[in-house]
Amino acid sequence: MEFVNAFSVSLQAVWNDSGFSAFTMGNGIMIAVGLILLYLAFVKEFEPLLLGPIAFGCILANFPNTGFLEEMGLMKAINFGIQYEIFPPLIFLGIGAMTDFGPLLARPSTLLLGAAAQIGVFIALVGAMLLGFTVQQAGAIGIIGGADGPTAIYLSVQMAPELLGAIAVAAYSYMSLVPLIQPPVMQLLTSQKEREVQMEQLRPVTKFERCMFPIVSVILISLLLPPIASLLGMLMLGNLFRESGVTDRLSDTAQNSLCNIVTIFLATGTGMTMTAESFLVPQTLMIIGLGLVAFIFGTAGGVLFGKIMCRATGWKVNPLIGSAGVSAVPMAARVSQVVGMRAKPGNYLLMHAMGPNVAGVIGTAVAAGTMLAMLK
Amino acid sequence: MSQPVTTNPFIIMMINMTIVFAVLIALGLVINLIHYVDPTRPDRQKQEAPAEPAPAPAPVAPEPVAEAVPENGLTPEVVAVIAAALASYGYGPGAIHAIRPVERNGWKASGRMPGASQNL
Repeated sequence: MEFVNAFSVSLQAVWNDSGFSAFTMGNGIMIAVGLILLYLAFVKEFEPLLLGPIAFGCILANFPNTGFLEEMGLMKAINFGIQYEIFPPLIFLGIGAMTDFGPLLARPSTLLLGAAAQIGVFIALVGAMLLGFTVQQAGAIGIIGGADGPTAIYLSVQMAPELLGAIAVAAYSYMSLVPLIQPPVMQLLTSQKEREVQMEQLRPVTKFERCMFPIVSVILISLLLPPIASLLGMLMLGNLFRESGVTDRLSDTAQNSLCNIVTIFLATGTGMTMTAESFLVPQTLMIIGLGLVAFIFGTAGGVLFGKIMCRATGWKVNPLIGSAGVSAVPMAARVSQVVGMRAKPGNYLLMHAMGPNVAGVIGTAVAAGTMLAMLK
Repeated sequence: MSQPVTTNPFIIMMINMTIVFAVLIALGLVINLIHYVDPTRPDRQKQEAPAEPAPAPAPVAPEPVAEAVPENGLTPEVVAVIAAALASYGYGPGAIHAIRPVERNGWKASGRMPGASQNL
C-alpha cells in the first residue's frame, strides 16, 4: 500500500512539474506558429539564417515550467544580450566588415535616396499612433520600414520591449519578402523610359577615402546622436577593419565567426520573447500590417526621390535605385538590378544601387537615434 | 521613460525626416570634403608628377666590371645583356659590383642528373 501511495505521489509530482500540466491553448498556437516559421525558413528559405533560430526560440519559449528566464543559465544570458543591447551592435560590427561603402563614396548624392526611403518608417509611425499605439510603441513599429533587423531590435528593446517578438518577426519576414513587395511598387511608379536609364560608371575610390569615411562619419554622427553611437560605432569599426588592409584577421572574424555566433544568440533570444501572452494579441496583426505599409511607402519614397534626381541630373540617375534605400542589404539592391535588367537587358544597376542601400542602413540608424532622442 | 517632446504624429514625422535628411546631407558634404583633401587622389598625383619622366639609365658597357672577362666564361655580350636588364629595373652601373657564373659543384651536378632524368 505504501508503495502505491509513494508511486502515486511521485507520479503526481512529475506531472505537476511537467510542461503538460501547465500547457495552454496559447502555447499550442505559438508552437504551431514556430513550426510554420521553421517551414518558411528551412523549406521556403525565407531568411533561414535568422528566421530559423527565431522560430526555434519561439517553440522553446512556449514550453511551460522551463524557468528559462527565471534562473541564471544560457537562456537568461542570451536574454541579457538582447535586454542590454549587446547583440545588435555586435551584428553591426559584422555588417560593417562586410559592407563596401565604395559606391556611396563614389556618388554621395545617393545618400538622399537612403534618406527619402525612411519616409516609410514615419508613415508607419503615424499609422500606429492613429491605431492607438503609444508614441514609443509607434516609433518601434515604424522602424520595421527601415528593413534593418538589428536596428529594429535595438529600438524596440528601448522603446517597446513588450512588442519585440512581433516587431522582429515582422521585420525579418518582410526583409525576406523584399523581392515580392518591391517590384510592383517600382513598376507602378516608374515609366519604361525611366527604368531604361543607363547610369555612368562610378569613379574609383581611393583607400584614403575608404579609411577616412568610417572615422569621420562616426565622429560626426555619434556627437550628434549619442543614443546610436554604439550601433554606428561598431558599424564603422567593422568597416575600418575591412578597409585598413592591416587587420584582415579581425575583419574576417567580425564578418564570419563573430557575426554568425551573435546571429544565433540574437535570433534565438528574439524568438524566446514570442511567448503566447505577448504575441497572441490583436496588436500583433496590426504590427504585421503596419510593417507592410512601412515597406511599401519606404520603397515608394526612394523611387519617387529617384525620379526627382533623374530629372535634376538630366536623366543620369535611374529611379529604380531609389528602392534600395530601404536597407535590406544587399537584397534591395539586387531587386533594383533585376527590375532594371527586365526593362533593358544589359543595364547593370547593382553597383549604383549599393550606394542608396548602404545609405539606407545609416539612414535607419539615424532615424532610430532621432526617435530615441525625441520619444524615449 | 521620460515624457516625449510631442505626441503629434505628423510633427514627429516632419521633424524626424528633416533630421534624417540633414544628417545624411552633412555626411555627403563630409564625403566630398574627404575627396577634396585626399592626397592620394589620382588627378592630384598626376599634377604633382614631373612633366617628363626621368630618362632611364642607359645600358652601360661593362667597363667597371673587372671580373667580366672571357676566362670565366663571360663574353662581353653576356655582360652587356645582364647590365641592360638591370638598367631596365633602374639600377645604374654603380650598382653592379661583379658578374660571375654560379659556382658549379660537380658532385651536386652528378646527383641532380639521375633525378632529372627520372622525371623526364
